[in-house]
Amino acid sequence: MRLELKNIEKSFGANHVLKGISFTAEGGAACGLLGRNGAGKTTSLRILMDVFPADAGEVLYDGKPVDYATLRFGYLPEERGLYPKKKILEQLIYFCELKGMSRKDAVKAADTWLERIGMSEYRDKRLDTLSKGNQQKIQLITALAHDPQIIILDEPFSGLDPVNAMLLKDIVKEEIQKGKIVLFSSHQMNYIEEFCDRIAILNGGRIVLSGDLREIKRSYPRNRLVIHSEAAAQIKDFLPYPCSPDENGALLLTLPSPEAKQQVMQELTQRFDIDAISVYEPSLNDIFVEYTKQPADGDGRETI
Amino acid sequence: MKQFRKILRFELKNYLSNKVFIGVTVFLLILIAGVSFFPRLKDGFSTATPDTHTSTESLPLMLIKAPSADTAAQVESGFAGAFPEYRISITTDDDDAIRDQIIAGTAECAFVLDSLTSYTYYVNNLSMYDENTETADTVLQELYRTNTLVSAGFTSEDATQILSMPILHETKSLGKDQMQNFFYTYIMIFALYMVILLYGQMVATNVATEKSSRAMELLITSAKPVSMMFGKILASCIAGFLQLFCIFGFSLLCFHLNKGEWDSSSILTSIFGMPVSLFVYMLVFFLLGFLIYAFLFGAVGSTASKLEDINTSVMPVTMLFVIAFLVVVVSMTSGNVDTLLLKICSFIPFTSPMAMFTRIAMSTVPFYEIAASIVILIASVIGIGILSAKIYRLGVLMYGNPPKLTTILKNLK
Repeated sequence: MRLELKNIEKSFGANHVLKGISFTAEGGAACGLLGRNGAGKTTSLRILMDVFPADAGEVLYDGKPVDYATLRFGYLPEERGLYPKKKILEQLIYFCELKGMSRKDAVKAADTWLERIGMSEYRDKRLDTLSKGNQQKIQLITALAHDPQIIILDEPFSGLDPVNAMLLKDIVKEEIQKGKIVLFSSHQMNYIEEFCDRIAILNGGRIVLSGDLREIKRSYPRNRLVIHSEAAAQIKDFLPYPCSPDENGALLLTLPSPEAKQQVMQELTQRFDIDAISVYEPSLNDIFVEYTKQPADGDGRETI
Repeated sequence: MKQFRKILRFELKNYLSNKVFIGVTVFLLILIAGVSFFPRLKDGFSTATPDTHTSTESLPLMLIKAPSADTAAQVESGFAGAFPEYRISITTDDDDAIRDQIIAGTAECAFVLDSLTSYTYYVNNLSMYDENTETADTVLQELYRTNTLVSAGFTSEDATQILSMPILHETKSLGKDQMQNFFYTYIMIFALYMVILLYGQMVATNVATEKSSRAMELLITSAKPVSMMFGKILASCIAGFLQLFCIFGFSLLCFHLNKGEWDSSSILTSIFGMPVSLFVYMLVFFLLGFLIYAFLFGAVGSTASKLEDINTSVMPVTMLFVIAFLVVVVSMTSGNVDTLLLKICSFIPFTSPMAMFTRIAMSTVPFYEIAASIVILIASVIGIGILSAKIYRLGVLMYGNPPKLTTILKNLK
């Protein structure tokens, strides 16, 4: 299973929102869609779900244009909201039915999912009697209960306590294992790093970076070392290379070339009491800031 | 289509389980039952209680002062017949004493006659509906004429007969009887007016509520805007018709149960005796008129981000509708429904439901005109339905200030 957006263009009036967006998501893996506020993430997702058509470009599923009558999407919008005055089971069934399920299947799916998230006792309660976090869990069911092939989660973790966040993580991992295509959009980089194999960073209506997250990280020059040690001061004096403490209290060492690293590592472990030493890889946060600091202009696209 | 049915069912259930909706309907039914059974209940009470006919003592006092005792007696007997609600008494007090009695409240009013053809009427507070002088004028005129005829040699019986000769006449209308059809035309137009404004507001609020609660974010990705729009509007339409059928059906039932009590009311008998063909036209125009405005209200509701914005957003649609209503009602009450204005209005989709129905009911309209009007209306309902679904799709995703009409039209694709 492979979902592909190809050269998507979209304007609202004079506002050119998407300037040729392309990215790919594979089944059984999560893809993170990143971007600053107003970068065009929600617009891309709406085009993907056929809320409105793109001005140009195509959305392909396994190489063919998406047939919206048969392909099922599950969507957890960033702006959460259901019917506050309606009973929970009733609205879950309604949304399942809208997605094409029969009433019988919808009742079954809603009940199964309520049990899965441990909220069966609320099935006949009105939504607005629930806490915000619990309302979010109910909303998650609307995204998953109809067994969609493609799951789109927009800021899924915002507002969840750590226990509920863990529950959500487990559920998302299960869905990924089932081979589904999961698209994540979030500003919480730690979750993206945890889940996503692939990322696409949007800036100013363009994809400025997309590809396999691990490869992206490895593509950075491997001439820097992170050293965790009690003897940081001595190490700093000993080494002839530029050395600076990073925000975690470790020492960040920049070598003139990646080739020198093996020798330096050996020397350091022999001479000093080292807790850990590793090649520095930028965090997703660093990568994100690097690519979205400037408003995109020209063709700053890079694909790995 | 399946999706449309699900939406229709969900929305209809919303209406029918709405406590206010049920409450208002039940209240109206009880009111109708109360009004239609009232004459019977009243009769039941009055036969049960002993006869408490008010004695003449408790009636308000009307004083009469005449230049001669002869005239006074004549006037008294004439007024006694014309003013059964007064106790009539002849007085010889002077004008000031009479005035004092009225101000003090011992007498309600007084006629001080200079002759049979001239008098002064005294009353403390002149009521807006005081017709005593008109009645007195008629009585006095008759007395004067009788006296004149008698003095010319007629007997007083002959004189009375000459003066009150009844004329027999009969009217045969070859087309429509405007008077008879006026009432149900009026009721249909008024019902349409009420239902469109009420339900239109409900549809607009319904859409805006989904938008403001952000349930829309999910709905718009789950269902086609056209299914959403048509599902919502048809649900409101069915709910509206159910309510009307309940109310009118129940009224009809009550009317038949109490037929004896209400037979004398020409308005009610004309309403419940409406010809079937006219009833069918009424249904058709009512339905189409309802739909065209409900779609507009739905589309407008989708442009409001907050419930507070609804009133301002629906204003243009409400204005359009009120103007259409006024044009038709003014033409209708003027009695001339064959004006050029009303003819044009009966082909414009926004006014035709009311205008064409009025013309059909109160005048004679060739069938091809009716057919043309209905065809235009159906086409417009479909067109406006699709257009409103497009506005809806755009509108529900726009937050912040309600967008301008031009912005929406520019973005429609």
